[in-house]
Amino acid sequence: MTSLVLTITETLRYRGKLGQWAWVLHRVSGFGTVVFLIMHVIDTSWATFYPELYAKAVAAYKTPLFTVGEFVLVALVIYHALNGFRIALFDYRPQWWRRQEDAAKLVLLGTLVLLVPTFFIMAGHVVNYYNERVSVFDLGLESVVEATAPFAVGTVVVLGLALIVSAGASVIPSLNAPKKRLKGSKMETFMWSFMRISGILIIPLVFGHLAMMHVIQGVFDITRVGHVPIFTNLGPNMADTLTAVNFVRLRWDTMLAGVYIWRIYDILLLFLVTLHGFNGVRYIINDYIHGRLLNRALRLASAGTMIGVIVVGALAILQSVPATTAEMLSQTSQVIEVNADSDVLGR
Amino acid sequence: MEATIRIRRFNPEKDKKPYWATYTLKDCEPTNRLLELLHRIKWEIDGTLTLRRSCAQGICGSDAMRINGRNRLACKVLLQEFGENPKIQVEPILGLPVIKDLVVDMEPFFAHYRAVMPYLVNETPPPIGPDGKPRERLQSIEARERFDDTTKCILCAACTTSCPSFWANGDYVGPAAIVQAHRFIFDDRDQLLQERLDVLADPDGVWRCRTIYNCTPACPRGIEVTRAIGEVKRAIQAGKRDY
Repeated sequence: MTSLVLTITETLRYRGKLGQWAWVLHRVSGFGTVVFLIMHVIDTSWATFYPELYAKAVAAYKTPLFTVGEFVLVALVIYHALNGFRIALFDYRPQWWRRQEDAAKLVLLGTLVLLVPTFFIMAGHVVNYYNERVSVFDLGLESVVEATAPFAVGTVVVLGLALIVSAGASVIPSLNAPKKRLKGSKMETFMWSFMRISGILIIPLVFGHLAMMHVIQGVFDITRVGHVPIFTNLGPNMADTLTAVNFVRLRWDTMLAGVYIWRIYDILLLFLVTLHGFNGVRYIINDYIHGRLLNRALRLASAGTMIGVIVVGALAILQSVPATTAEMLSQTSQVIEVNADSDVLGR
Repeated sequence: MEATIRIRRFNPEKDKKPYWATYTLKDCEPTNRLLELLHRIKWEIDGTLTLRRSCAQGICGSDAMRINGRNRLACKVLLQEFGENPKIQVEPILGLPVIKDLVVDMEPFFAHYRAVMPYLVNETPPPIGPDGKPRERLQSIEARERFDDTTKCILCAACTTSCPSFWANGDYVGPAAIVQAHRFIFDDRDQLLQERLDVLADPDGVWRCRTIYNCTPACPRGIEVTRAIGEVKRAIQAGKRDY
């Protein structure tokens, strides 16, 4: 932990150039995105497993704090994507290094240029929402606490378990032998390439996802009366009874050319982003946490969370609607039921 | 002109922690080097001020320090760049244990240097010259040019101690060791290529580099440090010299 404090204070004191600040922003934006990713995947899985909880989560996402958070998230993701492209480019073409500072400026400019229209559109949804629906401004702190409390508790539990396992592992001698000398690591060599290649693949996927789910239509739209969701097979006649749960289900059931296009898209995004993000977390842990017990505990917690996020996310996407959910859907929306049985949804 | 020098001082026998001391020097010339001012402080004001220096010509690499927030050699910094009334802040390079004042323990740095095997290995007997005696191994101009830049390193540690990854984790071999490795990895007379690439493919080898680019401007010899690290990464990925 002293290593982290020292790095922060000395990075602020050292007069590095733009590359240093690009790296700071890259770390912060990456870590912030992973934290959101964990919440987002688990919340969204509730649309399959616990529809009532999902409705509550979406309600929490509409509170002002989460709205600010969503704006920040979009900015972080756009910066991380553009700067990640810069890093990959100059890592594969090290001889171009003289242009890296220009590239770092271009990344900042590009982020701003993309953010202006993006924030404009997102702000439009927010303004609409508050004009149409809300008469009294409400921070919705209760809802925020309710939505984040499970994750806070989860974090404490996972860290506690990881610490216990790590302490247990400290009696195994082979895990505690001092490191002798440098020897190659195939895994580390592979991960370096993986970070760059997966990062480049993620850019179009995540920009598409942000555009479809956070910008062009956001959390304020998917439950708005009369909103016709785009990028789904949902017809205008269903718009009046749209709920967040139905939206997720219908989107995943949308077919294009005979395949569940969004299921494939989301699975791909889930795997790439989660592996990329948690490997980044592993880098951060190994850079700054050197105490054996804590280092191992954090790596265990991080790996466990990674597996959890992938399993929960993949199951939510792949599992068909359980009978109870289908019943609930039919009760809440007759129209949905009729259409869900028809060929419109490709069933 | 008058110069104000603020120095991070630390005497392990007296001080619990480092502190800043300020010295004012009269009759300074714009062409004075910072090293000369440090000498004047030591010789005229406080003889306990401790620093390393040897050649004072930017070649021996002894007097790397953090000068106004950036790693540089005190002997290569002229007063004129700081304007009419120069105010200069000097502190030891970061990431190596401070022994006293501006002197740090370079041993961890040299341990990383030794780890990359900074010497030419060639087991084949040298070629025989026209006089029947062994002669030098000839190399084409192009092959020599391939690693010319990294032969310039003077092991001053300015690059390594400018690197946030090294600050965070002293196990990282650091830019200077990788520059030295580059000098032999890309030398076609060397026969230890695979071993060199293996050593540097360690998590504490090149993979701790995050392409931050602090090392490149820190180099007093103008070595393209980050580029050299990048080329070593490419060579590791390709498993050969010509990636």
